[in-house]
Amino acid sequence: MKGKLQNIKSEAVGMIMVASGGEEIERLRVHYLGKKGILAEIAAEIPKLPPEDKAEIGEVFNDVKQAISNALGAAQTNIQATNSTTTVDTSLPGVKPPLGHLHPVTKAIEEISSIFEKIGFVRVRYPEVDWDWYAFESLNMPKSHPARDDIETFFVDAPENSRYGKMVLTPQTSNGQVREMERLKAPPIRMINIAKCYRRQSDVSHTAMFHQFEGLCINSDINITNLKGTIDYFSQQFFGPERKTRLRPNHFQFTEPSFEVDVICDICLGKGCRLCKEGWLELGGAGMVHPNVLKAGKIDTTKYSGFAFGWGVERTYMMKSGIKIDDLRLLYSNDIRFLTQF
Amino acid sequence: MQILIPDSWLREYLKTKATPKQIQEALSLCSASVDRLHKVDGDFVYDIEITTNRVDLMSVIGIAQEAAAVLPQFGHPAKLIKNPLNDKPKVKSAKAVDYLKVQLDPKLCSRFTALLIKNVTVKPSPDWLVKKLELVGMRGLNNVVDISNYLMHLLGQPVHTFDYDKIIHHSMILRESRPEEKIITLDGKNHTLTGKDIIIADGSLRLIDLCGIMGGLNSAVDKNTKNVLLFVQIYEPFHIRKTSMSTAIRTSAAVLFEKGLPLENVPPTISLGTDLFIQLTGGRPESATLDISSTITKDKIVKLDPKFINQRLGINISTKTITKILTSLGFTIKNSQVLVPPRRHLDITQPEDLVEEVARVYGYHNLPSTLMTGQLPTPIHDKTFYWESKIKSALSHWGFTEAYTYSLVAQDSGLKLKNPLSSEWTYLRTSLSPSHLQIIDENLGRVKEINLFEIAHVYLPYKNDLPKEMLHLIISSTNKDYLRLKGVIEALNMELGVTLTSTIVEHDHALTSEIDLTWPLLHATPTKTYMPISKYPPIIEDINVIYTGNYAELVNKIKKLSNLITDIELVDKYENKLTLRITYHSTSKQLSSSDIAPIRDKLESTL
Repeated sequence: MKGKLQNIKSEAVGMIMVASGGEEIERLRVHYLGKKGILAEIAAEIPKLPPEDKAEIGEVFNDVKQAISNALGAAQTNIQATNSTTTVDTSLPGVKPPLGHLHPVTKAIEEISSIFEKIGFVRVRYPEVDWDWYAFESLNMPKSHPARDDIETFFVDAPENSRYGKMVLTPQTSNGQVREMERLKAPPIRMINIAKCYRRQSDVSHTAMFHQFEGLCINSDINITNLKGTIDYFSQQFFGPERKTRLRPNHFQFTEPSFEVDVICDICLGKGCRLCKEGWLELGGAGMVHPNVLKAGKIDTTKYSGFAFGWGVERTYMMKSGIKIDDLRLLYSNDIRFLTQF
Repeated sequence: MQILIPDSWLREYLKTKATPKQIQEALSLCSASVDRLHKVDGDFVYDIEITTNRVDLMSVIGIAQEAAAVLPQFGHPAKLIKNPLNDKPKVKSAKAVDYLKVQLDPKLCSRFTALLIKNVTVKPSPDWLVKKLELVGMRGLNNVVDISNYLMHLLGQPVHTFDYDKIIHHSMILRESRPEEKIITLDGKNHTLTGKDIIIADGSLRLIDLCGIMGGLNSAVDKNTKNVLLFVQIYEPFHIRKTSMSTAIRTSAAVLFEKGLPLENVPPTISLGTDLFIQLTGGRPESATLDISSTITKDKIVKLDPKFINQRLGINISTKTITKILTSLGFTIKNSQVLVPPRRHLDITQPEDLVEEVARVYGYHNLPSTLMTGQLPTPIHDKTFYWESKIKSALSHWGFTEAYTYSLVAQDSGLKLKNPLSSEWTYLRTSLSPSHLQIIDENLGRVKEINLFEIAHVYLPYKNDLPKEMLHLIISSTNKDYLRLKGVIEALNMELGVTLTSTIVEHDHALTSEIDLTWPLLHATPTKTYMPISKYPPIIEDINVIYTGNYAELVNKIKKLSNLITDIELVDKYENKLTLRITYHSTSKQLSSSDIAPIRDKLESTL
């Protein structure tokens, strides 16, 4: 009788543990603990036992009954817990993964480079601290040009190079032009150089460090309509199809002719408003590469011509997004309350 | 440079039916940018930005000439009515005069002219003159000063006047200044010169003019002046720029002189000035103007090549149209040769310059927009941009926010600037960490936890060459859980397929880890090594071991026990006990407990 009871217990607990639902548990409860169940049958036989065995078997019987009820109770609780997850309040806020933020300058650079990549421009990286030769002299900038004096450009306190001159913090990305011509030796050239630039000014619309992207395209028969085509392609991809561009005459030493590129103001769409010049915003400079610059890069000017442009990343991004940051220095203030807005 | 041109003044020289708005548009698209069109007292004023190569447009006449050339392209007929710069001088000139003795350095002054006008009456100017000056932002002072300002604004040639009787011995020496020489300018300010400024000393050797910048107070015209020396010169541009910068005096005269002005405009300016002095001051000019020229302007000729022009434009414009455009701008064309007017000598020197003249007047807006065809450049196998972007994207998705800090710092072992803007920005940095510790300090308390990163160049000094620009990554966090930051770097290693060399440094408020990306980005790879998946299931079991303080050593020891141990994972760490989950796996057979038993024994005896 004792062995029989132990077997019933093992069997019952095992079956209850693998039981797959409430119905099955109920069936097992009736089977073992019901009025006509297995334990009831055994209970009916206990009075018939010899008096010396009654006490011991009675104790084992109680143990087994207790163990089976416990197992049933636990299984029941489990099932209820499983059922309750299906009634989650879906209006509660979700548990988000940690969210970080990319800086607007990174977003702009990635977007700009991917647009130019699609029309065959190769992204390169050229020195941000460079020789006067690449930053000025090879770009047809006369020695007396204001950009070459120490009011506008930062100079490094380092010995001058006998061939390349002073060491400067590049005030524009154009130092990449002659460097790219030297790298490739001959056209076709389609370059996009994005880098940090430095100028000696800091106010609401200027930061001493900023970023520029420089495009350079040289091949046979490159003309002004190609420059227009490239600028239009970029501008429609970057700003959207409604933002038209135009070229106006301007003057730069390293291009001839030189242009100022305007894009239609995102606020008034060309009607003219407080924030723009008669409906237009200045995007930046562009032009046909000056023959002296091609010569400095050892490119045959009788065979090849090219265009170039160099624009501020921050400025261009501001014009796209409609985010009117009233003080550009905020971009480099690194206030976490600013950075986490992007 | 900016200049204000009243519409009414412009129309004294320009005949057109175009409205101010139409003139603004034509000039902006084809010549100089008219930034604003102001309406003032029933008149319009054009606010025009002039590029540095077009100093010839810094005058009413200059703008009238341009407008006459560009307006017809917009369907608005236009004509220049008169040009005082083409008028022949009425007063004859002489290389020496008895009323002024001059000794000059011709390198500093390529044309020196002066005319004595006697018996002037200094008094307020008539209304027409005062009104013109007011429209261009100047105040009427007296007829003598107002005539100078009027001439400069109309013709683009600065004019000075001396009180003739204040020039001691009526003699002048024009020379370079010596360091420490002093002058008080018209505005009453004292200047101690740094040397090499162009100055005039009079017979008593005192300085009476800071040439091209501002006159001296001691020789200035005042209300009692009787005799005026009308003074028109061309100074050497570089000297003027240097003096203007070092004294911080940016007068209109200085701005014009430093760009380089044509010698030819001098006599007509003196001539028109003389007329105005007679008319407005009642003065009587001497019979001859002193005119000392050290050089003469040579003809400048550029070859006309319509084929080249069309090549650069990308369209075909007839030679007739090209000729018409160039002629309207004042160029003379004969037998495929373009004679450049003197006022454009500095700007037009080569065929490319003619391309610009033709293209802009034809109108950039009239050119089509076409992407170039032709071969693409050879691509470079540079994946560093890709990986840089990948790292940024991963970190931002793991909860880090990207910062951009200045490369210029207060103190560093790196390169010093010769001319820093402030003491805060004196050196090029060799490490990103100080910048990040600073911004963490600034942001403390603003949010609960700060997690930042940045990828930027550091600049390492290199003997006799440019600094080495190394791309660094910095990750910083105010969460000082070492293993969390370590885990981020380990996860990056998995993304990049390389092992980043990093040290995590603990600071007062943050942990930082700065990593040189130069090598890793060159070796990062998207290719993962493929391991065949075993068809036999692994055996996994948890064991408890005593922790001795070096996890890495422990794992190495266990791995060496058998090559069936393929993975060891840390499940739990409690006091000095570690629970490790060991995976036994074979690609060649089904493992049984008899395979594992001897390894487990070795494991227990080793640890």
